[in-house]
Amino acid sequence: MFVRVRLGLKINNDLKNMKISKDKKIGSVMVIGGGVAGMQASLDLADSGYFVYLVERSSSIGGMMSQLDKTFPTNDCAMCIISPKLVEVGRHINIELLTLSEVNEISGNEGNFEVSVTQHPRYVDTDKCIACGLCAEKCPKKVFNEYDGGLSKRKAIYVKYPQAVPLKYTIDPKNCIYFKKGKCRICEKFCPNGAINFDDQKKELTLKVGAVILALGSKVFDPSVHDTYGYKKSPNIVTSLEFERILSASGPYGGHLVRPSDKKEPEKIAWLQCIGSRDEHIGAKGYCSAVCCTYAIKEAMLAKEHSKGELDTAIFYIDIRTHGKDFERYLNRAKDESGIRFIKSKVTGLPPVNGTGRHLIRYVDEAGKRVEEEFDMVVLSVGLGITRECADLAQKLGIELDRYNFAATSSFEPVRSSRPGIYVCGAFQAPKDIPSSVIDASAAAGVVGSKLAESRWTLTSTKHIPEEIDIRGEPPRIGVFVCRCGTNIAGTVDVPSLVESAQNLPCVVYAEENMFSCSQDTQDKITRVIKEQRLNRVVVAACTPKTHEPLFQETLINAGINKYLFEMANIRNLCSWVHKDNPEQATEKAKDLIRMAVAKVALFEPLTEPVMQIDQKALVIGGGVAGMVTAMNLTEQNYITYLLEKTDTLGGQARHLHETWQGEDIQQYLSGLIKAVQSNKNIEIFLNSEIEQVNGFVGNFKTTIQHNGESKVLEHGVTIIASGASALKPNHYLYGEDPRVVTSLEFQQRLIDNDPSLGELNTAVFVQCVGSRIPERPYCSKVCCTQSIKSALKLKEIKPKMNVFVLYRDMRSYGLREDLYRKARSSGINFIRYDFGKEFTVAAKQGNLQVAFNDCVLRRQMEIRPDLLILASAIVPEKKNPLAQFYKVPQNDDGFFVEAHVKLRPVDFATDGVFVCGLAHAPKTIDESITQAQAAAARAVTLLSAISISVSGTVAYVNPNFCSSCGVCVSVCPYSAPNFNDKSGKAEIQPTLCKGCGLCVASCRSGAIHLKGFDNDQIFAQIFAMNEAVF
Amino acid sequence: MLRYITKIREISERLLKEGKVDMVIGFRKGTMPMMNEPCFINKPEGVDSLVWDSNCGINLANYLTDRKEKIAVIAKGCDSRNIVTHIIENKVKRDQLFIVGVPCKGMIDRHKIASMFEEEIIEVAEEGNIVIVKSAAFEKRLEKSEVLQENCAVCIHRNPVIYDELVAEPVKEQTETDRYKDVRRIEEMQVEEKNNFFDNLLSPCIRCYACRNACPLCYCPTCFVDESRPQWLGKSIDPIDIKTFHLLRAFHCAGRCTDCGACQRACPMGINVRIFTKKLEKDCFELYGWESGLSLEERPPLDTYKPDDPDLGI
Amino acid sequence: MPDWEPKIVAFLCNWCSYGAADLAGINRLQYPTNIKVIRIPCTGRMSPKFILAAFGKGADGVWVSGCHPGDCHYMEGNYYARRKFTLFKNLIEHLGIEPGRLHFSWISSAEGTRFAEIANEVTKTVKDLGPSRHLIKKINAKVA
Repeated sequence: MFVRVRLGLKINNDLKNMKISKDKKIGSVMVIGGGVAGMQASLDLADSGYFVYLVERSSSIGGMMSQLDKTFPTNDCAMCIISPKLVEVGRHINIELLTLSEVNEISGNEGNFEVSVTQHPRYVDTDKCIACGLCAEKCPKKVFNEYDGGLSKRKAIYVKYPQAVPLKYTIDPKNCIYFKKGKCRICEKFCPNGAINFDDQKKELTLKVGAVILALGSKVFDPSVHDTYGYKKSPNIVTSLEFERILSASGPYGGHLVRPSDKKEPEKIAWLQCIGSRDEHIGAKGYCSAVCCTYAIKEAMLAKEHSKGELDTAIFYIDIRTHGKDFERYLNRAKDESGIRFIKSKVTGLPPVNGTGRHLIRYVDEAGKRVEEEFDMVVLSVGLGITRECADLAQKLGIELDRYNFAATSSFEPVRSSRPGIYVCGAFQAPKDIPSSVIDASAAAGVVGSKLAESRWTLTSTKHIPEEIDIRGEPPRIGVFVCRCGTNIAGTVDVPSLVESAQNLPCVVYAEENMFSCSQDTQDKITRVIKEQRLNRVVVAACTPKTHEPLFQETLINAGINKYLFEMANIRNLCSWVHKDNPEQATEKAKDLIRMAVAKVALFEPLTEPVMQIDQKALVIGGGVAGMVTAMNLTEQNYITYLLEKTDTLGGQARHLHETWQGEDIQQYLSGLIKAVQSNKNIEIFLNSEIEQVNGFVGNFKTTIQHNGESKVLEHGVTIIASGASALKPNHYLYGEDPRVVTSLEFQQRLIDNDPSLGELNTAVFVQCVGSRIPERPYCSKVCCTQSIKSALKLKEIKPKMNVFVLYRDMRSYGLREDLYRKARSSGINFIRYDFGKEFTVAAKQGNLQVAFNDCVLRRQMEIRPDLLILASAIVPEKKNPLAQFYKVPQNDDGFFVEAHVKLRPVDFATDGVFVCGLAHAPKTIDESITQAQAAAARAVTLLSAISISVSGTVAYVNPNFCSSCGVCVSVCPYSAPNFNDKSGKAEIQPTLCKGCGLCVASCRSGAIHLKGFDNDQIFAQIFAMNEAVF
Repeated sequence: MLRYITKIREISERLLKEGKVDMVIGFRKGTMPMMNEPCFINKPEGVDSLVWDSNCGINLANYLTDRKEKIAVIAKGCDSRNIVTHIIENKVKRDQLFIVGVPCKGMIDRHKIASMFEEEIIEVAEEGNIVIVKSAAFEKRLEKSEVLQENCAVCIHRNPVIYDELVAEPVKEQTETDRYKDVRRIEEMQVEEKNNFFDNLLSPCIRCYACRNACPLCYCPTCFVDESRPQWLGKSIDPIDIKTFHLLRAFHCAGRCTDCGACQRACPMGINVRIFTKKLEKDCFELYGWESGLSLEERPPLDTYKPDDPDLGI
Repeated sequence: MPDWEPKIVAFLCNWCSYGAADLAGINRLQYPTNIKVIRIPCTGRMSPKFILAAFGKGADGVWVSGCHPGDCHYMEGNYYARRKFTLFKNLIEHLGIEPGRLHFSWISSAEGTRFAEIANEVTKTVKDLGPSRHLIKKINAKVA
């Protein structure tokens, strides 16, 4: 209902079946893997003009994210945020979902691939299954539920989880009694709709696509393979993913925090970090899994919230790696507010404490004392890895993998695999969290878009919409269709009496009951009845509008009625299912619900969906790598782009960077990129330019810039903010006073310049977290640890005998960068953890530079006398950036821009048509900036390619006669949809920006704002109708 | 008082003469005792009718709503706070205004004084902290502190919070006041007691809307009581409709009310309607640390939020 | 009045609490029939008028539920709603509506069990209070 619908160019549906000429690229894309990355890539591609086949091995999409309880660092409910996306994918007209499917082979070349896919049988007819769940209720075979980490049971016929898409049951033939023993078929007997099909066969498909995106995802490490901790032996040692399920309200214990052995509430829980990660032992992986530190913090926080008593939580770690955006604050909260204990210690064993279900942990504390503690539960923070199946598939497809089986990619083309035309995203590329995966996914879509632009909209379809009958002015003629839902509703509620009572309601001219309202034959019948009875309002009393409203709305459209003249009464989920023991009262309640729906629908008016034309040009603000990559991608996708740069040069911070962590030459890349941008005819570059004024909004921005002393107005449909950030110039440690003290960037410049003096150094010291992770700047600058490691290695390369020290708080060489850290340690670089709480001084005495600090391991004051001191200084954005005001987008307390949603919309702003990438968003490495830049382009293209967009009709509008201009609507709207009219001074709401939440409506004291579809009179009508109930 | 009046006239005359403002909004002597009236002066020679004493309780911010001309306004502490709210809520622009700040020593409660005497009062005068009440038959001297308006007695912002010129040195703010004593008294009541209290309180209400009309915050073109789609609130003097009206009117003032007392002052039936808004004022202060009309930078508490706001949710 | 059953109107936000109510159904969690649900897009849509009208027209209890603070589908709606609720609930209870007639809760779409639990709790609380007597228009008051 609130989902934005995008209209493509009207394309003849027959085109899809047209024979495709040899050299023309194919306008469809295959995405393999239906986790959050695959879903995002599919949506971005389908929204920007490509037909998508989304191939998923399991029975439904959603991937690992659907198993999570909450997500860091906001503790958002994972299911709440992913389920609208699931529905969007499931319903998208240009996404074909192939579940239970596997790719066998890909032949051909970029632009023209042929993919062979095997679709395994579901044994349930998806057209007939209405997901009533009766089959599973009756199925006699219980099996471990892998969705709940094996902590609960499911049946042999099942859906993965209640919100699954597609919401269709599946028979698991490995466990089905009929398939194993040849007898049973109970599900078939009970299925009210004849959906079970034991004769279902696997299908072999051959699909033509222009490109392929691999979003194969990862799996958590299985600690039972080399069971050093006794994970398999003790039920109270669980993996972090199992713990997610324990925390989840829909999990095995209904969200009650109990330990598996005796279902008692634990009083002490320990988390062990780096299980299967940062570990070269057999079976484990050498890299850092990048997500576990933060998820352990999350789990500990949530466990404390779940616990009724005083839960003691301890996280045993090597380095705490909270390097992502706002993760450091999260860590601080965990320490300071939640009281989670952080213990730096590698735990080697978990001996059980006899008969108690507890486990003993021995460690050495900060003071060097040996400690023994018993814990009721131990959570193993397991890392992420690539499964054998995925690795095999990649190899079959000819994709180069790294030593850990992650897809090998270059830093400058982070989503491109080794085989042209095949792209990668998400945790298949490297261990990463949800936002990084989502950014990757959009980036892959962006790059695919740049390759297939010529074939955009060639294979997509648009819905044929029959002409709408104008019913305005007619008195309401309401039809009520009451669903029996087999026995789901009719088993409890007296359906004929509902029909009878509905017939007597005002304006109701027709009422009937249906066995299954959602079945195709009933849909056809409703269409016919609407026409015959000249119905102009429809109520379906059935299940939930959250899943079924769009379906019935389509029925209305097919009958020539505006789809907003529809209301559902949820008499199943909210009535028959929850009042099984009380059929009489349930029947009365169902009557009330129908009466309320009828009262509301009578007041509905046909709504039009606002359509807006999109100016086909983009403005990119910032001429650094992120801005240039965005601009390049946009032009490759055939959109003219303005590139605005404040200074007189392109290149941004990258001009001071030597090599990527993988050893690629940044200056070489940068000069190539600058040349490409400069010679690109579709990029208009404005150097030395600043913005003066911005008017308009998504689709039609008018940005006035000051360029070479002149004002110039740029018209564009979308805006991408890539305004970057800079390096902190420290004001201590003798920086600026002693030439031997430099920042990382200055040091990088010396490497770029091949400074011969570096070879003369005897001792070099790197200091980490200079200006980062401090109260004034409570964030991690993310890049510095790896950069210092890399630089330290460089020094060792230049002069192997040089003494190189890295003084750090936590080494954050996250992900695959851990290999570099290991290499650095083995090449003799000294990594010393300094005590941040104690004095750290730099002095120049008798010509010597003296660095004095407290060593955490030795627990005493140390001093080093280096010839060069390199300060890893923080990345600092511009606070109170005027762009925030100009484009109505927020900045956080640190000055980084705030995206629309940390997890699922990491490059969008809440304000439509404005996107963010690069350092302006958060500290990140060059490859991450490039990925986000490509993602920003992809997200922008979902608008640009649409040419025009239409949005939901349920939006707010202002009656100016009632408006008092108090500005409360303008102040509260998170989407900047209300604005004051320049002339009248009254508020008005831009319908294309409005999301229909109704916040302004409820906040407007003068009653000037109305929300179509949820207006005051409609809600009052429901309230009043309820009151007519007979109790 | 005389110094105040001289200064007010002097400033007003100057502003009008220099053409800095088109109009001065202030008080003139009313036809009834204790009832000074707002007046609009647009010529320098008119300034002599401007007065100031303890009967200037009407909130002049109410007369600024949606005005377009340049105005000098005489503002005591509460008026100035309502002017701030007016500016935030686009009812008037800061640069339209020349705010003549009056450090306020409190207004007297005409209902209270009237109820102290059976005869008709013909004149009320002031001498320092003494209020002299005259009827045809007698003359009585009262301590001003005894007859202050309730809101003035507990006021902690007597000095204007925003002004262009002050007519006198700021007065000492009251610090020892117990602002929410009356609210707490009700909070401590049992459910039935509360109902009885409010039923009794509102029983004289004739729904004349004088409270609403006197309130600078009630500037909506159409009040919710007149909503017709649907007419969910009855227009009668049914006690529930009356209670609902007062409740929702107060709620609309949540975090905006400065406790200027205009509503109570305006009520012909002498109902203490402030008791509704006072509860909200207390909650906004205690829950959100908010006092209305003190800052041009922040919008009222219902137009904003903090992630760690107190939570009544289950 | 042994047979008396309270009327309770529940305003549920579309994204979280309504989803939780759906999930309670999917899991067949049982709760009393007294609660009638009105779906709203967001708790930010909730106007105090609806609560007053519900009480005025005879509801014995009102329950408003949305996404957990921080989880709002519209990013901030429930934060604003929380302030409105808090002030409004305090105010009407100040005026003599019994605590226990008006409820607010935060239930995510994954919390079907919690939905059923709170539905039970709200119903019980309202039932224990007996028929509504205050803020209800006279016609209904007589019936009660």
